[in-house]
Parts: sequence; structure tokens; C-alpha cells
Amino acid sequence: MTTLRRNKAARIATASLLASALFMPGMATAKDPYPGYTYSSLDRPLAAPNAYTPERMLDGAALGTGSLRNPNDLFVRDNRIYLLDSGNNRILMLSEQYRLLTEIKTFRNGDKDDGFNNPQGLFVTEDNHIYVADTDNKRVVHLDGAGRFLQEIHSPKSEILPANFQFAPAKVGVDRAQRVYTVGRGVVEGLIEFDSDGQFSTFMGAPKVRFDPIDLVWKRLSTKAQRDKMVQFVPTEFNNVDMDDSGFLFVTTQTKSSAPIQRLNPTGLNVLRAVDSAPIGDLNHLFGDESMFADIASGLNGSYSALDMTKGRIFTYDEDGRLLYIFGMSGQQVGNFGTPVAIDYMGDKVLVLDRERANITVFKPTLFGAAVNRAVDYQYKGRMDEAKAEWEKTLKLNANYELAYVGIGKSQLRNGDYSAAMRNFKLGSDRDYYSKAFQMERKRLARLYFAPVMSVAVPLLLLLWLGPKAWRRWLKPRLRKEAFHVDRS
Amino acid sequence: MSTVRKQFKFTMFLVFRPFKGFWDMKYESYGSLRTALSIMLLLALVTVCKQQFSGYIVNFNVVDELNTINQLIYVIVPFFLWCIANWSTTTLMDGEGKFGEIVMATGYAMFPVAVLYLAQTLLSNIITQQEAAFYYFLDTLAILWLVWLMYVGMMTVHQYSPGKTAVTMALTLVVCGIILFIGLLFFSLIQQIVGFAQTIYKELVFRT
Repeated sequence: MTTLRRNKAARIATASLLASALFMPGMATAKDPYPGYTYSSLDRPLAAPNAYTPERMLDGAALGTGSLRNPNDLFVRDNRIYLLDSGNNRILMLSEQYRLLTEIKTFRNGDKDDGFNNPQGLFVTEDNHIYVADTDNKRVVHLDGAGRFLQEIHSPKSEILPANFQFAPAKVGVDRAQRVYTVGRGVVEGLIEFDSDGQFSTFMGAPKVRFDPIDLVWKRLSTKAQRDKMVQFVPTEFNNVDMDDSGFLFVTTQTKSSAPIQRLNPTGLNVLRAVDSAPIGDLNHLFGDESMFADIASGLNGSYSALDMTKGRIFTYDEDGRLLYIFGMSGQQVGNFGTPVAIDYMGDKVLVLDRERANITVFKPTLFGAAVNRAVDYQYKGRMDEAKAEWEKTLKLNANYELAYVGIGKSQLRNGDYSAAMRNFKLGSDRDYYSKAFQMERKRLARLYFAPVMSVAVPLLLLLWLGPKAWRRWLKPRLRKEAFHVDRS
Repeated sequence: MSTVRKQFKFTMFLVFRPFKGFWDMKYESYGSLRTALSIMLLLALVTVCKQQFSGYIVNFNVVDELNTINQLIYVIVPFFLWCIANWSTTTLMDGEGKFGEIVMATGYAMFPVAVLYLAQTLLSNIITQQEAAFYYFLDTLAILWLVWLMYVGMMTVHQYSPGKTAVTMALTLVVCGIILFIGLLFFSLIQQIVGFAQTIYKELVFRT
């Protein structure tokens, strides 16, 4: 029985080894249409096993909905997929098995039939209410779960808005207090916030203006006529919005920005955690191939995935802004993208909507990706020992995975195994935690050895210091005296 | 053995009492060129040790980019560059120092840096990130001490006024830059001449 079990264990080990061999760089192309890589702590690209692999591609024919035209947004709520088929002005509701459940094309608005006109954005609340950014109708439409019309939000009216303000909502997000946040096309003041009655309340999270110091020097030197012809320093424009599980807003910017991904708290402050550096996608952003994010999806446990339009890549970060893995690529094969525009999670699967190809690509986690996801999950919940076991699995598949070493180290630190933790933090290049582990280890060693070392060293030093003096002053004369005394008798 | 001890005592005296120390070095022939060069080599060695053995918390070296030969060169080349540049400058500016004296003064001035770097390396292995400030403080201290000793050394060796010493030292840095520039120019010219000669040779070989 035991041999059998051992055999089985060995077979599993070989299988996982084989699997890891399959994911090795060079061979990865045979399976996935994109190379797996990640960035080391020195910001160097490193080959890595792929975390996600394309499972299937769904177009209009596969979905049985007729062909899609320029679909622009995708939302998953309670394992139901809401697909915004902008070109056909309809919303498609799909089941977990990718079967069509409902199609919303028209709705009763008052006493007449109403419809969408090139809608760009879609949001579904926890009670399954649907908000649609009905872009060319210049309004946001609020429907209930069955597709019945409830409310529409029109162009905001306020004295802080310019007279020629054009309301073209492109994306929409709704928080738990029914406040509606919209990304307006050409609006640089931030998100347009409406209260639950659809009344404009404020702009929030206005992005800062960023400029090049060199540009500033040129502007200073040039004449007014020259200046007027130059590109103005315009604040970055948000291009997408999503809510995370704890009710914070995730926004992305497409224009050049030092913080292309932001997590806004209710007052509009960016509270995105970035332990090492701000998440910006690809790090070698020379030659203009800087990552530009089209959408962001918050996964479980504070992690989030951002969709990069430049190269068609998906960057997944943990709650601390550490890069977990990268997958996806622009291209022609199954699993590649033309113009990816929207991303969302369905369980641990990732759905990416491609506008150009009018299809959805479903990605499922690989052995490696699933282990990372589970490890992040356990770590988030504070179950460090279970996280450690998962991190060890990821290390078997990718010995270069620094996060895993740090994760194992954290568990060891908690369990008091300081020297092992130090070793792992060093392997994971985490100086902060290394310092913490080192401090504990130093304390432990000091407690262990201070008393014995000092109880030997202090008398020894005293003896060395005072001994010769004492010898010369008291012992030697007395001995001599005694000798003398003896001699006399 | 006794000369080593004498030189050690003298060096210790010099780094704490630089005015008297450098005077003795120049006029009372206490200084030794061999000691100065040994101190320089010691510093080169200690620098390598610092790179290699500093504690992980303050050690930001990328191990696969570390090159011990380069580390040695980063101490030895600037040392001689400084000496040559300083000699060239002070010769034109009525400095009284001979080249040997300049080398000696610079060498002795490096001693505290070597000692402090060694202390730093040891310290860095028992500190945490919160205490790293001490480590960086020692860095600053070493540099300040070096500059101070160099300043006093140059002043004494060349018998300059304090102001003129400062000016000469600044000029020496400029001259260092010029020497490097000319060096680079020279190498690139030599390269081109060699390339030219090679081309002519090839041309001749292929034609005959």
C-alpha cells in the first residue's frame, strides 16, 4: 500500500515536473500564444511559467446571439456575464456556461419605447441593477435586474461647469450608496459624480497635471505666438472606472501618467498601495511602448488585473501593488487580442473582451497561476502556513519567483523561525522584512548568549585588568615577607 | 618590525594632529612613501571587502555585476590621477611640494577612510534598517575626514595659504577631468590610427 502510494506520489511529482518543463521559456510558445515573464526586483524581465492559459474564444456565433458589433464593455456579477454590444445597441446577459439568457434592446421609458445609441459602458450593482453609459444619447440609463427602466441621468447642471460642456458618458460605476460615477469623454476634471437621485454632486479624483521640465523651459523661452501653437499641459483623462470589493473606485488613465492605475477613496484621494513602486505595467517603457490601460478588474483578496492596450497584456498585482504575473499578447492566434477593451473576473477565470475581433477570450489559471492565486488568497486571510504550502508549490514551478520566497519567509517569521525567514527574504529581495527577521534573530541570540558570554568575559577581563596590579601590590610583597619570615626562623 | 610600529604610531598621530603630522612628514622626514602606498592598497582592499561583505540591509550590490578588479581600479586610478593632476597644477602655482610628498600626503590622508570602512563593514552585519543611519553617518564621516586631511596635507606640503589651497584643490579636480579627456582622445586617436594602418595593410594584401 505504502509503495503504491509512494509510486503515486512519485508519478504526481513527475507529472508536475513535466508540466513545469512544458512551461519553460521557449517551450511555452508551443502551448500558449504568448511568452510568460515577470519582472525581478531589479526590474529586469525574467522568464516565468504562464499563470493563465486561453481556454476558449467566444464570438457571436458561439454565443448564439448573432454577430457582435464593436462590443465595448463586459461585466460579471454573480457568475452572469453582461455584455454591451454597442454596435447593435443591446445588452446581452449570458450564463456561466456562456448561453444567452436575456437580450435587452428596448425598454419602456414613460409611455414610449426607448433604446440605446452607441453605449460605451456598463455597470451592474450587487442587486443586479444595470447602469448603462448611453454615450450618444448623452445620458446614463438605470435598469433593474429584469431590464425594466427605472431612471435616467442627464447632463449635469451646475455653475462650476463651462457653458459649452458636452456630456458624453463613456464608462460608469456605482457604489453601494447608489452614487453614480461616470467617465465623461474629454472631461479632464476627474469623474463626474451623481447622487442616487441622479443630481450632479461633484467632480472627484481630478488627476494632477504632469509636464516635462524640458517642455517648461521651452515654454518659458518661446514667444506667445509660439506658445499658443504648442500642445497644452492638460491633466490626464480617466478612461475607465471599476469598483472593488471594499467599495473603492479603481480608475485607469490612458494618457501618460506616473500613476496610470489609481484607487480612489470616497473623497477622491488615490489610496493605491504601492510597496515597491507604482504599478505601471511594462517597466521598459522606452521607445514609446509604455503600457496604456484600457480597463481594470478587481479580483478576490485585493488583487487586481489591468488590461494593457499597447501590447495586449494583462498585469495582475496583489493588494500591495506587487506584480504577481503577466499574461496575454496582441496577435492572431487563439488567446491573442486585436483591440482588447474590457476585462473582468468570473471566479478565477479571466474574461477579456476584444472590440476589433468582437469576441470574448476566456482564460483559465494554469497549475502555476492557481497556486499563486491560492497563496495570495491565504496570505490575505492571514493563514500563513497554508499560504506557505502554496508558495512552495509555485517555487517548484518557478524557482525565480521572488514573491514566493517572501511569502514563505513571512510564514517562518510568524512561526519564530527567524534565520530561515532571513534566508528566504534575502532570496526574495525584501530588505524590509529581512530587517525585521534579523532584528528578531539578533534579539534571540542576545537572550541566549548574553548571560553566559558576559559571565565568562567580565570576570576574565577583571582578572586581566586587576590581577597584575593586585599581584604586584599585595600578593607579591606578602609572599616575599612570608618567605623572609620563614627564612629567619 | 619596529619601523612598521613606528609608522603606525606616526600615522595615528597624523590623522588626529594633521598640522603637526604633515609638517613632520615633510620636514622631519617621518613620512615614508612605502607606507603611503601601503595605505592606498589597504583602502583598495577594504573597499572590495566593503562591497563584498557588507550586511544585506545596506548592501545594494548586484552580485553578478560586481567586479573586484574594477573595484581595485576605482581606488588606485583616482589616487594617481589626483597626485599627477595636483603636481601639474601646483608646479605652475609655486607649490613647494615634490611629487613624492604629494603621494605621501594623499596616502596618509586615506588612512581614516580605510579604518572607518572596515568598521562600517563589521557594523553593517549587526544592524537593522532603523539603525542603518549610523552606517551612512560613518560614510559621511569618512569622506569629511579625508577631505580635511587632504586639505591640511596640501596646505602643508605646498606651503600655501588656506584660500589658495582650496582654489588649488578645485583646480586639481578640473585638471583631473582634462587628463581623463585627453586620455580618452588619445586612445580613440590611437584606435583610429591602428584601424587606418590595418586597412592599408589589408588593401595591400588583397591587391598583390
